[in-house]
Amino acid sequence: MSEIPAARPRPFVVTPGPHLRVSETTSSIMWWVNASLAPAALWGVVVFGPRAFAVIIASMAGAVAAEWVGTAAMRRRSTVADGSAACTGLLLALTLPPLLPAWAAFLGGAFATLFGKVIFGGLGYNLFNPALIGRAFLMASFPVAMTSGWSNPRPWFGPHLDAVTTPTPLAALKEYGLEAAARLISGPGGVTGLALGFRPGSIGEVSVLLVALGAGVMLARGIIHLTIPLSVFAGTALITSFSGAPLLHLLGGGLWLGAFYMATDYVTSPAMRSGQVVFGLLIGVLTGVIRLWGGYPEGICYAILIANAVVPALNLWFRPRRVVAMGSPS
Amino acid sequence: MHVEHLKTFGRGGIHPDPHKRATAGLPIEDVPPPMEVRLPLQQHLGDPAVPIVKKGDLVRRGQKIAEGEGTGVPLHASISGKVKPIDRHPHPTLVMAPAIVIARVDDPDLAPLEFPVDPGWRELPREEMLERIREAGVVGLGGAAFPTYRKLQLPPDVRVDTLVVNGAECEPYLTSDYRLMLAEPDAIVEGAVLMARIIGVKRVLFGVESDKRDAARVLAGVIRRLAPDGYEMRVDVVETRYPQGAERQLVAALTGRTIPPRALPYAVGVVVQNVATASAVYDAVCRRRPLLDRVVTVTGPGIAEPRNLRVPLGMLLSELVARCGGITDDATRIIAGGPMMGRALPRLDLPVTKGMNGLVLLTGRGPFEDGYGPCIQCGRCLEVCPLGLEPDQVSVRVEAGKLAETAPYGAEECYECGSCTFVCPSQRPLVQFMQVAKSALRRARDTRSVA
Ligand code: SF4
Ligand code: SF4
Repeated sequence: MSEIPAARPRPFVVTPGPHLRVSETTSSIMWWVNASLAPAALWGVVVFGPRAFAVIIASMAGAVAAEWVGTAAMRRRSTVADGSAACTGLLLALTLPPLLPAWAAFLGGAFATLFGKVIFGGLGYNLFNPALIGRAFLMASFPVAMTSGWSNPRPWFGPHLDAVTTPTPLAALKEYGLEAAARLISGPGGVTGLALGFRPGSIGEVSVLLVALGAGVMLARGIIHLTIPLSVFAGTALITSFSGAPLLHLLGGGLWLGAFYMATDYVTSPAMRSGQVVFGLLIGVLTGVIRLWGGYPEGICYAILIANAVVPALNLWFRPRRVVAMGSPS
Repeated sequence: MHVEHLKTFGRGGIHPDPHKRATAGLPIEDVPPPMEVRLPLQQHLGDPAVPIVKKGDLVRRGQKIAEGEGTGVPLHASISGKVKPIDRHPHPTLVMAPAIVIARVDDPDLAPLEFPVDPGWRELPREEMLERIREAGVVGLGGAAFPTYRKLQLPPDVRVDTLVVNGAECEPYLTSDYRLMLAEPDAIVEGAVLMARIIGVKRVLFGVESDKRDAARVLAGVIRRLAPDGYEMRVDVVETRYPQGAERQLVAALTGRTIPPRALPYAVGVVVQNVATASAVYDAVCRRRPLLDRVVTVTGPGIAEPRNLRVPLGMLLSELVARCGGITDDATRIIAGGPMMGRALPRLDLPVTKGMNGLVLLTGRGPFEDGYGPCIQCGRCLEVCPLGLEPDQVSVRVEAGKLAETAPYGAEECYECGSCTFVCPSQRPLVQFMQVAKSALRRARDTRSVA
């Protein structure tokens, strides 16, 4: 029988229960989101070249720097390490055109965390998705760069050797009709090309497959659930079936990035699954409406921002059902 | 493939790592009498026991040393020896509290009291059975330590039809009830029948989690042999899912009935008793044997040799730990009870009390040592709360100092199972937020009703 040491090097720790918890933390979740986005981001760099890389780095740097400065100015504990600012910057970058000047991307990232999150009181208190706030800011401030900075895939991938700036398939669909959009993606194999990313688009949305892969990782880890993305798709399909090209709408553009990565942001989406269904449908419908009848060929970004504003109301309407006995007064 | 649908409760719940393998295969070992025991006068819910021995008295194991006054129960000497001055000593929950200390004396004159079986025990009147249970100092051994005779004495206007015997043991790490079901199934079933007779029901349902099927089978075999005529007795294997062993969840699983918020099980016609309590009731009624020992699972990564031990009440945790090879160098936390609802103890010079079903030694940093983050509204806590409460909403209001606004989110109904806190990625101490809100709301209501 061993002796009990009279004095222990450290006292026993007394903390409130429960004394066990899952290993998952807010920051582990954020870093997993970042990691799951990496394949799509890298593919963007491969497809579009070093300028896309510069946009990603600048946007992330802007977001992290603003978070650091912002929390320091407000004398709060620095939250840079939790990965949420990096995540905001990365998400924003993936929605940007690859030819956007890097300094604009930096500004966008900084605006995203500062005005999308920090001024609301930091992570958890913001109403709108910070990355989309950053994107909206860039759209308003640099409309030309934001809509013409698209580039074709680099020469070894496609036949469009000449074009420097070229419309995305959705922009072509909106401006010139289905024919033009079809021509644009007909290069290396039509819809397959759309899925793989051999087509013009923003850095991260070019490959639906890689975005889906990342989403699969998040689903498998239980970080997100299918509730919101499926509702978004359902809403979009419903509206765009009027347009005659629902597949182009569902496979193209930032719908996947938006549905799996932006609409699922915990802070800016409803907490209950029931509320999430309404939220997702709202985003999907709004996306379709904006794309078909509004001013922007994309539209998911504004759809999500509008739906974000409704979240507090959805959280009031959709609350857990209390477990009580039948006929009990409460 | 045959898919089995196990009985369980409706909403929420979690599946923590069970961590039971270290001790599940180990039979209960008897611990020889320690050199000293410290028996706090308060180790049950209710009035503290009143000493009837004084300094220098020689007592025999089994002898009553304190009387149960008011709502309390008596206390008995768990070893033979000499009573030391009655003084205040460290207490697991009350910090410091009066305790009777007995120093062991090995003397043939001080042999433990014998408790022979009373031949007429099956035919005792109800009042006599209750009195024997009270006199034996039996309390709820599942952790609550509520005097068992009081739980079996229902208000006159209450009608119950079912006794639920709780062998779920849903807390991670703990295996004391499991090993007891394997070791003493007869005593458990007999005790259950006695309690059923006391409360006047003929329906007795045992609930055992699906990770303890062998125990369920053993109990079922004993029931076939011992169930009195006209009794409906059965063992239900319930899903292994925390907090399946909480009264509300077990009653829901076994009877389909929902206990209203803040009400007790008898509101839906049910009384719930733990398997270890049933065994103690059997001893108390059949041979007037008082509660002298209890089974404790000593386990966790911070202990050298995990064990299931039958421990004399009042034995110091330091000695208990020493019997299990001592604590490891990296042990950081001592948990009395299970890790979900148990409480962290600051020291090891504390006695084993009646409600202590486990001692779990943990290593590494605890959940709240690194502070906590803001609510990121991930909704996980809402998903797992078995009652459908909203700990996220309560917590942000408590943080903002708006205690009165927490009422609509169920703070008062929370029974502190800890599921919400277990899953919160921001590591927020949600149970504590619920407690703060609960006591504030209760205070507000009390002052209102006084005014
Ligand atoms: S501790 Fe309370 S609020 Fe949290 S899950 Fe359990 S009952 Fe619900
Ligand atoms: S689990 Fe934690 S972070 Fe998530 S909603 Fe509940 S309190 Fe907020």
